[in-house]
Amino acid sequence: ATRREADEALPLIDVDYDELPAVFTEMDAIAPGAPLVHPKHYISENDAAYFGMRPIDGTNICHRFRIRHGDVDRAFAECDVVVEEVFTTDSAAHVPMEPHASIARWHEGRLEVWAGTQTPFNNRMDLAGIFGLKPEQVRIVCPPMGGSFGAKTFVRTEAIAAALARKAGRPVKVVLERAEEWQTMNRHPATLWMKIGAKRDGTLVAKQVACWANTGAHADSGPGVAQKMGYASPGPYRILNVWVDSHCVYTNTPPNGAYRGYGQMQCIWASERLMDVLAKRLGMDPLELRLKNILREGDTYCTGETMHDVAFEECLRRSAEAIGYHTSEDRASKGVCVLMKGMQTPSRASLAIEAEDDGTYTIRCATIEMGQGARPAIRQMAAELLGVPMERVTYPDPDTDLVPYDTRTTSSRSTHVMSRALVEAVRDLEKNGKRGVGEVTDKGGLDPDTGQGIASSHWHQGAAGAVVDVDAETGKIHVRHIHASIYAGKVVRRAAAELQNEGSIIMGLGTALFENITFDGGQVTNANLSDYNIPSLHDMPRITHDLVERAGAQVYGLGETALPPVPAAIGNALAASGIHMTALPMTAERVLASIDSGSSVDEARLRNIRDIVEASVLRA
Amino acid sequence: MKVQFTLNGAPAEVDVRADEMLLDVLRERFGLLSVRETCGLGVCGSCTVLVDAEPISSCIYLTPMAAGRSITTVEGLGGDHPVQRAFVEAHAFQCGYCTPGMILATKRLLEETPHPTDHEIDTALGGNLCRCGCYLKIRDAVHLAAGTVDLSSRT
Repeated sequence: ATRREADEALPLIDVDYDELPAVFTEMDAIAPGAPLVHPKHYISENDAAYFGMRPIDGTNICHRFRIRHGDVDRAFAECDVVVEEVFTTDSAAHVPMEPHASIARWHEGRLEVWAGTQTPFNNRMDLAGIFGLKPEQVRIVCPPMGGSFGAKTFVRTEAIAAALARKAGRPVKVVLERAEEWQTMNRHPATLWMKIGAKRDGTLVAKQVACWANTGAHADSGPGVAQKMGYASPGPYRILNVWVDSHCVYTNTPPNGAYRGYGQMQCIWASERLMDVLAKRLGMDPLELRLKNILREGDTYCTGETMHDVAFEECLRRSAEAIGYHTSEDRASKGVCVLMKGMQTPSRASLAIEAEDDGTYTIRCATIEMGQGARPAIRQMAAELLGVPMERVTYPDPDTDLVPYDTRTTSSRSTHVMSRALVEAVRDLEKNGKRGVGEVTDKGGLDPDTGQGIASSHWHQGAAGAVVDVDAETGKIHVRHIHASIYAGKVVRRAAAELQNEGSIIMGLGTALFENITFDGGQVTNANLSDYNIPSLHDMPRITHDLVERAGAQVYGLGETALPPVPAAIGNALAASGIHMTALPMTAERVLASIDSGSSVDEARLRNIRDIVEASVLRA
Repeated sequence: MKVQFTLNGAPAEVDVRADEMLLDVLRERFGLLSVRETCGLGVCGSCTVLVDAEPISSCIYLTPMAAGRSITTVEGLGGDHPVQRAFVEAHAFQCGYCTPGMILATKRLLEETPHPTDHEIDTALGGNLCRCGCYLKIRDAVHLAAGTVDLSSRT
């Protein structure tokens, strides 16, 4: 049959559906008596992904992560000023220009898959589990992708292609249609309640966070997303008393998973907006409040980690300076944001360098290319270590039959971890001449009940500043200038590094201003690029950025860091003009509604959330 | 039905159904894989080709409409066209999926407006989406191709 015949046959299939009770938002899903998306919780036996999922029976909560540091109840009582607010973020689509695609064939007793994926080894493990094979009976080959941004993680189209190929007895290619992208995986909508207390001089004393990430009907990497949302939500500040409950919640919507920034855009939006609410209440400048409390070298974070190679202050000062925060008269239109973002921890990275007879070198590495420039960066670093021109170093498409194990290409980790593995590999190659293998293991992880341990073996650090105008009549935001300062440690390939910053900022503008997936009864209603808009050249404000470097520093990842601070910087610029925004995206309608309400706090919603937190504490 | 046109400078003929889109014909019959589908609605520019020098969205362009016309895909520029060189020199791409469409739209822009302003670039390329967000360097590439900027003078 042809594709055309298949398309014509599709609408001829009659399906009867029995509508069951359903829940679509994270807050409806945690309400007492809410229908359960999964009456019984299941946990995969294969946890190669390190998510450590811990569901709560009888609820839609599939994972809960907590931080217990100090004594928040006592500390809040000692604060001079306490503020709290509820923030929300809508769902967003990744929209890689190239859709999900894979080709599968069964060949000599093995399953071979060519896939656009960021996670070849996770896919090998999961496909082996699905089809009852040993991992080494599955081969995954990863050509470069036309964008991903987290969309092409874990098993997406691969199992479908493999099942069809087995049934058909021949290779099968699966390519998603654009509308199917919105059914496959999106970004977690979230509701975040945050409360922060300070002394009159601005010293932060206590912070309490309860947040709920809507993971859709299947958990995927949601527990990991919720965990990062939780552990990054205190922000890069010295706070001695921290209490966090972060939940991953099932709903009857398409699954949500990894998305550039991985849960941290949501918590940074809430956390950094709340800092400006606090500054206003204290009568302090928001930048001064941040600088007074910011984590500095050797400080301890609420997870118990000691912070090293700290650049928050430098990033923040640079961003403030870039937008003329102190030099211009119209402070009323300016806002700043500073962030910390974790990297996948624990993780393992290895690669091999093979010396060929013709004087060239072949890199065997599982890091995949999706436009971020990881392969050229790794080739260049290898060439520098080997002392040869880059042209003599090749990097074939990752193939799980040929490359050593790597956790996955996510969380802006690859250039960093592979820069370290390369040093080992070159040293090993010098010893044995033909093939050198380098491996680095970053241990860590957090106790899910106390949040103590190592959240991230390597913290991404950055800040942003924004200058905005608002049309008070229409609510439309006009961003005049957005600047991001991102800690790069050491830049490997400048143009690629700049592109990562610029691309993250531009994606952040979409998140801040207009990108949201709309639903009606759990069904996506804007699953096309006419109704769902992404930034175009028409949407470009003045964008500047810098890559903060230090002599002797390590290579830091840059893939995501400039996205999360953009919405909060813009939101804080609005706050400086007296417009208090709590929901993303900040559409003209929402801005207008906030202006019309006098930017008042929604007390009823706050009371409702407080009740939920109380009930959840009692239940625990 | 048989449709004849000029494809990248050479005569071409193809037997198609009347409702076959040019995108599918160029990819599947002629193997021109620079022509790529993203939105399928004619709003994103990934599938841009030039028909008699005008950029069109080949995902919504019926193949019979191309009869007697001249079609150019990025393969037809040969790899060393000034616009292609400018995109490489300005690092105006990341994943590269949208790049062929960007290059063809730029070629047409520069034929009509040899020295475009940023605003003119935004207007001409505003229908070509890049999710990697390379827009700043795409503007650089257009200026570079127009000879109105020397990137080596930039830090």
